[in-house]
Amino acid sequence: MSDVDHLIAKKVADRYLKREVLGEGTYGVVYKAIDTKSGQTVAIKKIRLGKQKEGVNFTALREIKLLKELKDPNIIELIDAFPHKGNLHLVFEFMETDLEAVIRDRNIVLSPTDIKSYLQMTLKGLAFCHKKWVLHRDMKPNNLLIGPRGQLKLADFGLARIFGSPDRRFTHQVFARWYRAPELLFGAKQYGPGVDVWAAACIFAELLLRRPFLQGSSDIDQLGKIFAAFGTPKASQWPDMIYLPDHVEYQYVPGQPLRALFPMANDDALDLLSKMFAYDPKARISAPMALEHRYFTSGPPPTEPALLPRPPPKRESVDSKPPSDGGGGPTVLSPTRKSRRVMPHQHDHGNERSGPAPMSLDFSVFAARPPARPTINSADRSHLKRKLDLEFQVPEED
Amino acid sequence: MATNFWASTHYKELLDQEEVDVVHNLDRERGITLEDFKLIKLQMTNYIARLAQNVKVRQRVVATAVTYMRRVYTRKSMTEYDPRLLAPSCLYLAAKSEESTVQARLLVFYIKKFYADEKYRCEIKEILEMEMKILEALNYYLVVFHPYRALSQLVQDAGMSDATQLTWGLVNDTYKTDLILVHPPHLIGLACIYVASVLREKENTAWFEDLRVDMNVVKNIAMEILDFYDAHKMITDDRVNAAMHKLTIRT
Repeated sequence: MSDVDHLIAKKVADRYLKREVLGEGTYGVVYKAIDTKSGQTVAIKKIRLGKQKEGVNFTALREIKLLKELKDPNIIELIDAFPHKGNLHLVFEFMETDLEAVIRDRNIVLSPTDIKSYLQMTLKGLAFCHKKWVLHRDMKPNNLLIGPRGQLKLADFGLARIFGSPDRRFTHQVFARWYRAPELLFGAKQYGPGVDVWAAACIFAELLLRRPFLQGSSDIDQLGKIFAAFGTPKASQWPDMIYLPDHVEYQYVPGQPLRALFPMANDDALDLLSKMFAYDPKARISAPMALEHRYFTSGPPPTEPALLPRPPPKRESVDSKPPSDGGGGPTVLSPTRKSRRVMPHQHDHGNERSGPAPMSLDFSVFAARPPARPTINSADRSHLKRKLDLEFQVPEED
Repeated sequence: MATNFWASTHYKELLDQEEVDVVHNLDRERGITLEDFKLIKLQMTNYIARLAQNVKVRQRVVATAVTYMRRVYTRKSMTEYDPRLLAPSCLYLAAKSEESTVQARLLVFYIKKFYADEKYRCEIKEILEMEMKILEALNYYLVVFHPYRALSQLVQDAGMSDATQLTWGLVNDTYKTDLILVHPPHLIGLACIYVASVLREKENTAWFEDLRVDMNVVKNIAMEILDFYDAHKMITDDRVNAAMHKLTIRT
């Protein structure tokens, strides 16, 4: 590295005041930091160079490539990127929590207009991606981050996989599978924005139910769960189904009325849900059309983002020890809080070397682990990504 | 992956020809003229294409790599960013960003195998360091559009299916110039079809007029392509070597 380069790197790095480590990602450590230029709190992701001497991590590169093209209020902002000491650093806006934490927090009551607001922001982000011909391909509540003023933003930092549950009995497929559209489960080689809309429908359902809607334990079981809910698709409903590579005949089961599945939802919500859950991807409502649906245009308007219920950003306690299970200790009465995106990196403050982290550092968010939710390890994940990474065929220009 | 061209960073990054034809001060101090500058970029385009053949990547990767290389030189000097290292590094990065990764050691192997000239030699480590510098020089804008995808459809629509190979070759050759930095890719594609129809003496005026594009721009691009071919006849190895030699002169 020449002198000039070194000076530039130092200066850029000096722009950010490093704070505590937020967690360890598959491709690097994530820090909280203050942008001295804007006073803004940011999250800096340090991209570790690949072990195989293969330079900038491939997934990170793809993320940079896409996020540089996608600037929207409902998509996570990549503020800056810079090399420092041979590592690439990505600077993101700092997000307080995510939709999974909201859904899982039993202290939170989600009113119908709150749900409407969260869904609207999800669909807005998605509509923007699709307008730019980008498929998100990994929509799920913990990839929907929530900012300090309640704004929901699409993200896929690839962090979810690392902070997942310690319970490894489930494979990756379980987790991502719950949001997979039937055409993907039937091995579709070409698919479009409909896969994201299906996943958004699953998230909508999850907001209504406060638990994942279709929790299949295998691809076959996932389809079984889908069919048990909506009925086995008939050829008239989805003519192209039989041509899909992995299509197998399922025994016919009748569906259940949506009203029975979602007793708390109103007619407009159910109508939109049924359109987002359309079997035939061609018949499935698009994200922009969904935003114009009566569900959003009539009835009480969505809650202002700033007024949405969210888990408290901090807890009073400074207890940094996670509750030990089976230790016969006191039962924790307050609901467990999610720590997915953050992990106690270094409890031993005496050895804290990651910058000016004060002793009063609040590690309480780490205190309780979320209930076991299956997650993805990186090997599984890359397999999944490969399966999902079929080219999205679109005309390039005009 | 694709995105809308008119809303893309590629569109925003388009430059005027005058902005592209600027020899960096550091290079000018070495006696590198605008002609030399263009010759070296042409030489490096050929170098990238040859390496790409060995490591077997799609034409699209070559096109992206060349675009990266040309973009870097609108901002950085050849003195600081040695073309003989930048070119393979651009190919390395482009392969990654176009989702068909090539291992750095494979590039290093082929460079060693085919280029006796020691100045082309490079190590894996150097390519990886350069990758980072390229990312910075590109301001992390990695999405590049090319004329290829719409091309066969357009050629067919123009009733020139028999000239598909010719048109494709013309498009490949446009990367030997800086056209991709200056014009939207679909106009470059149309200009190539225009050149092909002239070469094949096919009357296509009506077809072009039906397109909602500025035909003056298309014709200008076509003229530039023809100018390039004319100038290309005059390029000798000696001229290229002389230009490349200026890079190694110690100042």
